[in-house]
Amino acid sequence: MTFLEYLQSRRELLLAQTLEHATIVLMSVALATVIGVLVALWTYRNPRTRAVATGIAAAMLTIPSFALLGLLIAPLGLGYTPTLVALTMYALLPILRNTIVGLSEIDPALTEAARGIGMSRLRSLSTVEIPLAWPVILTGIRVSTQMTMGIAAVGAYVGGPGLGNQIFSGLANLGGVNSLNQALVGTVGVIVLALTVDFALALLGKLTRAGHRPKLFRPRPARRPTLTPTTAVPSPSLGGRE
Amino acid sequence: MSHDVMIDLQQVNKFYRGQKAPVVENMSMTIQQGEIIVLVGPSGCGKTTTMKMINRLIEPSSGRILIDGTDVTALDGNDLRRQIGYVIQQVGLFPHMSVATNVGLVPKMLGWDAKRIEARADELLDLVGLEPAIYRNRLPRQLSGGQQQRVGVARALAADPPVMLMDEPFGATDPMTRDRLQNEFLRLQEQLRKTIVFVTHDFDEAIKMGTRIAVLGERSKIRQFDTPENLLASPADDTVAQFIGRGARLKQLDLRRVDAITWEDVPLIQPDKTTNGAKRQLEQTEGSSALTVDADNRPLRWVNADELTAAAGALDGDAGQTVTTVEPQATLRDALDAMLASRDGAAVVVDERGRYAGTVTLDGLMQVIHHTPERGTSGSGVPDQRVGAAPAAELAPEQR
Repeated sequence: MTFLEYLQSRRELLLAQTLEHATIVLMSVALATVIGVLVALWTYRNPRTRAVATGIAAAMLTIPSFALLGLLIAPLGLGYTPTLVALTMYALLPILRNTIVGLSEIDPALTEAARGIGMSRLRSLSTVEIPLAWPVILTGIRVSTQMTMGIAAVGAYVGGPGLGNQIFSGLANLGGVNSLNQALVGTVGVIVLALTVDFALALLGKLTRAGHRPKLFRPRPARRPTLTPTTAVPSPSLGGRE
Repeated sequence: MSHDVMIDLQQVNKFYRGQKAPVVENMSMTIQQGEIIVLVGPSGCGKTTTMKMINRLIEPSSGRILIDGTDVTALDGNDLRRQIGYVIQQVGLFPHMSVATNVGLVPKMLGWDAKRIEARADELLDLVGLEPAIYRNRLPRQLSGGQQQRVGVARALAADPPVMLMDEPFGATDPMTRDRLQNEFLRLQEQLRKTIVFVTHDFDEAIKMGTRIAVLGERSKIRQFDTPENLLASPADDTVAQFIGRGARLKQLDLRRVDAITWEDVPLIQPDKTTNGAKRQLEQTEGSSALTVDADNRPLRWVNADELTAAAGALDGDAGQTVTTVEPQATLRDALDAMLASRDGAAVVVDERGRYAGTVTLDGLMQVIHHTPERGTSGSGVPDQRVGAAPAAELAPEQR
């Protein structure tokens, strides 16, 4: 059976596994975004708490994914839950760190002006600081998404969902019928999915960039936004991926 | 000017934990409604801290601050700040919001409805000289620095607060823009009559903007608190004098106008008259020059006695020296400039239609400068040629 024939014959299963894969990645990234942004808001003004928070998130990222998933079996059992928890832990650092950077890079004059005209802390955060830090936060979200796409495949090791199941069964039966196709379709599937989601997130970034009216189908004038999402994207550590 | 006390600082102190000396020590100051009070002093003297305690961006450690009779510490900080205009050097417009949104922020927090906020934003943009139709939907970065600060002022004025705090508001703009913004703001203040606390380290700006100036030393200690005129004429101590810097006398010239000094009369030569009358007059008054005027009494040229003699009866149009004129509202600095341009050290004062009203001389200028401390003495040393025109009134600060 050729690769294309294999795709044809397993179309429904593959589609379902792709969807599962995307779902668990997006769920864990969403969770990590909520946690990361909250922790960042909690810690970014104090250098010490900030260092502790990023330190813990960085440490989590260095745990090999096989080890982490295996260790999570004991408290969480097999299947969906340990995969989700592990992915969330991995996704945390880029989001947390970018949120901290995004928030602390905001011109102090703006936060002072916000206070000076009588904005409460909450209002200043929601109408000024988070919207301004958003491009940087979104960059963190994109990095996290890319990273967890790959790690999610390992989740199949503890019975998690997704394209990892194709890779694992292919690798387990090397030499057998379709084993290469399986491993290949899993790997390529993850890559294609990752690129698609990244494109979608990039689009989201354009649509949600504060102070810009999106002109998707017209060339925009070459004007740089005030805050370019450039900073503090940690290189995705491969510590967990064998 | 009404004499209602608007802001009253009573024995205000500010300590920071871990610092022995207070940043602000026992500061007391009473500010009347409608005044622009300039806090001026070297950097680190606590002037900004003092200002920020008024809207409680910085909490005072002890003492009382009353605004219109209410103790500010009794209010919620955010509520308080919504009732006080606040302008800072860096402007602090939110870059992701349109100009109109920025201006409408405080009214929005106060719960105005959208239509009213929109109308108010347009009104204010108009007030600060920005055409609403063009600018309301722009983002701050699409404006020049000067325009941004105008929007900053508009934002501070949005809810029509009685009190405004301005922290070096024009400090980040280039000198020409700064000058224009200052003038516009003074004109605006004539209509608005806000009570303003203005912080700057630029003494010239202080002189220009202030109704009264507080020169602060370390720990916000008030070294002198007086009108710009008095400050320049009689600095309280060496530190203040040092701070005023060189050229205090010259700076005084900016504060006073031509109608504050004594005007003198010179012989006039009407176009169809002979020069004989003027010549006789010159001899009588021991003056050196006469002025030719046109049929409407507009000054044309200076002619001196020799030229009058040479002309023997009829003057041709090119004799003598062209005159430099000033209007009564011009500053004494302009008058001095005009005097220096003239051969005889005199400038001709003309009314708004350009007609001769009198002349001012270097002597007259000296009189005023040296009599500044005592009010109402101008004219005492001048002989009787004084024209009855404007009384040599001091330019009261609230009239500027």
